[in-house]
Amino acid sequence: MMAIATAALLGGCNLPRDPGRTADTVRARGEMRVGFVAEDLPDRAAEQQLASAAKAHGAQVRRLTGPSETLLRAIEEGELDLVYGRFPADSPWAEHVYLSRVPGRLAEPPTDVSAPRFAIRNGENGWIMAVERARP
Amino acid sequence: MSLLPPEIREDMRSARQLEWRTLGWMTSVILVMFLASGSSQAMRTALFEDVLSLVPAATFLIAAKLEPKSPTKKYPFGFVRVNSLAFLASAVVLTALGGWLLVEGLMGLFKAEHPTIGPMELFGQTVWQGWVMVAALTYSVIPPLILGHLKLPIARKLQDKVLHTDALMQKADWQTGLAGICGIVGVALGWWWADALAAAVISLSILYDGIRNIRTAAAELLDGAPRALDSADIAPDAQQLQARLEARWPGAKVRLRESGRYILASVEEVDEIGEPPALHDLMQDDAPWRLAQLSFSPESSSRRGEDKA
Repeated sequence: MMAIATAALLGGCNLPRDPGRTADTVRARGEMRVGFVAEDLPDRAAEQQLASAAKAHGAQVRRLTGPSETLLRAIEEGELDLVYGRFPADSPWAEHVYLSRVPGRLAEPPTDVSAPRFAIRNGENGWIMAVERARP
Repeated sequence: MSLLPPEIREDMRSARQLEWRTLGWMTSVILVMFLASGSSQAMRTALFEDVLSLVPAATFLIAAKLEPKSPTKKYPFGFVRVNSLAFLASAVVLTALGGWLLVEGLMGLFKAEHPTIGPMELFGQTVWQGWVMVAALTYSVIPPLILGHLKLPIARKLQDKVLHTDALMQKADWQTGLAGICGIVGVALGWWWADALAAAVISLSILYDGIRNIRTAAAELLDGAPRALDSADIAPDAQQLQARLEARWPGAKVRLRESGRYILASVEEVDEIGEPPALHDLMQDDAPWRLAQLSFSPESSSRRGEDKA
């Protein structure tokens, strides 16, 4: 009980925080840098989630397109805030970046099936939570 | 020596009960920890320690089953040392695992890996998994705190090394839980290093447990003098027994060793034994059942040790 109470208390004061300050930076810059893997067009649920995450941080979405390899590397370096593309949950990239749940779907597909997801920089737990909470 | 002395049968029964309770309670802890554990290194290391805490409890129960068995033709001295054997094996596992986890924690620190802890669906709510882990770790702190506290006095009465180590390990166990909580709260505050640091601290405690257990087990397997439960020193009751035996047979060579929870004494290089003193005179205020065997050998037969010296 005490743990849950403490957790609720801590949850109230904007935790978890990002070691790389992604969420703070997005808010301060007023801009969310999103990379789209060239051949993967976002569906309606993904667009909704993007819009809602942007709104929650008072930011505009700045779109870029490119090959997945380049975009994911940019996520690792913290040069992009989000990447949208189709990735299987067990992709080799899953160790280097956080792969979100599939937008607009209740059940997750099998781990070896490619599905639309957002990739987020590892360890940016606050930003990950913000994006995941923006799911429609 | 095969059957338990009547004085300690009652304590043995409560010790067995406590250990069964430990198995049940710690299994529930492991289950909760497993369900909540995500990518936190500290949490995973704490889970390892919880799994390992089953080892001494299981060792104790197996040994308690075997110990009272009567000697057989192939094992004429019975099975009182079966726990020493199991103890050594578990100590080696503990040491190896502690070392491995320590290396892993330090690697995480050097590579500056940022631990990622994502969301989790709980009762239809999206919550940060870190909070779920903190709740699980908090639960994991409670059983070892209580059990360790109950085991310590019984272990002293029974002079039981496995039970005593078990009680100490449970102390390490709840401290581990607290370290894990610190690690995850640290991650929540944006300190990526907190998780790996907590994992390294926890693995140090596992490693320490293992090394201490190896020392204790080795002392008995090498026929060392009876050791005190909570230090590497010779047990006080053994020291006093040694002094009394030396006073009774001046000039004789008195050697004590330990077999399970019992003391075996040999008085060597004595040709005139005379009437041996009563057990109560030898042990006086100490538990008399501790002295399980007193043997004598004449001067001529104890040359083996002398020749080498």
